[in-house]
Amino acid sequence: MRTIKGMWFFYQKLVVPSLGISIALALFSQGFVPLPFGICFSYAILTPLVHLYSYEINTPNEYYFYYNLGLNKLTLWANTLAISMLIILVLLLT
Amino acid sequence: MGKYAGHKHADYTRSSINMSVLHVDSVRREIGGRCILNDVFMSCRRGEVIGLLGRNGAGKSSLLRIVFGSLAANQSFVSVDDRKTGGLYSSRKLIQYLPQHKFLPEHLKVDVLISCFCGRSNARLLMEQDWIKPFLGRKPDALSTGERRMVEVGIILFSEAKFVLLDEPFNGIAPVHLENIKKLITQNPFVKGIIITGQDYRNVMELSSRIILMQDGNTREIKDPRDLIEYGYLPQTADLS
Repeated sequence: MRTIKGMWFFYQKLVVPSLGISIALALFSQGFVPLPFGICFSYAILTPLVHLYSYEINTPNEYYFYYNLGLNKLTLWANTLAISMLIILVLLLT
Repeated sequence: MGKYAGHKHADYTRSSINMSVLHVDSVRREIGGRCILNDVFMSCRRGEVIGLLGRNGAGKSSLLRIVFGSLAANQSFVSVDDRKTGGLYSSRKLIQYLPQHKFLPEHLKVDVLISCFCGRSNARLLMEQDWIKPFLGRKPDALSTGERRMVEVGIILFSEAKFVLLDEPFNGIAPVHLENIKKLITQNPFVKGIIITGQDYRNVMELSSRIILMQDGNTREIKDPRDLIEYGYLPQTADLS
């Protein structure tokens, strides 16, 4: 349970900036691409980039919090990609 | 505990609780052809505080990270109670690590971090401590460096792990917080085995029941503080009183 909670906490940090920038980009390119598709597409690309910036470049030491919960870097990267795909799937289906 | 500063500690109660042992053996790590850890051996019992001293670059942090499982070694053997640890997931309830620099996620509040990190009963006990109450409901970036370090040490010491590795817990903090952190480590509420590093040798020695010096990629057990001068870790003029 704690591991799942840790994965969600890790991902939580990425949601607001990724979604915010995705909506802004989608609104900006609304004339060329339908809005839901624009949001989903931007979100899919941006989340790993925000992950890269937030954790690998900006605060790499935060990884140790998650290491202590038993989560290694590979699991955390897989977590980012998997939840992003899931959110996109939900967005596309609704 | 505190053998080097003449502290008497209730070790008899601790040793009777259990005989869990963290065993580290044959640790070897090379970087660019240079051997920074050469067949290192170390062991730690529950309730024991081991002070790990050594110059900058001696390999203290690398050794702790290898024991924890976050750094790969060319060769290593780490076991707890004769069971080999196998990566971060399998050793999460056995060994916890406090890194040198701040590591708490800044987007979460202290009470949320404690609940996630410490397990239900330990989290409740930690949140009942008077010193932590003012920090609950605040995010780590709203705390001073010393307050933050206290929370970090508290979280690690109240975790469910049997052994904790504290990498320079006194790094860059004011004397008042340093004393609070020392008090926390001395209390060691769950009788963990603690390995502590630091350049502040006086404080490390004050807390430790055993001292190990890292030098030339190896570990040496220090029986007498004057050995630290003999081995060149401390200058001849060092005050060991």
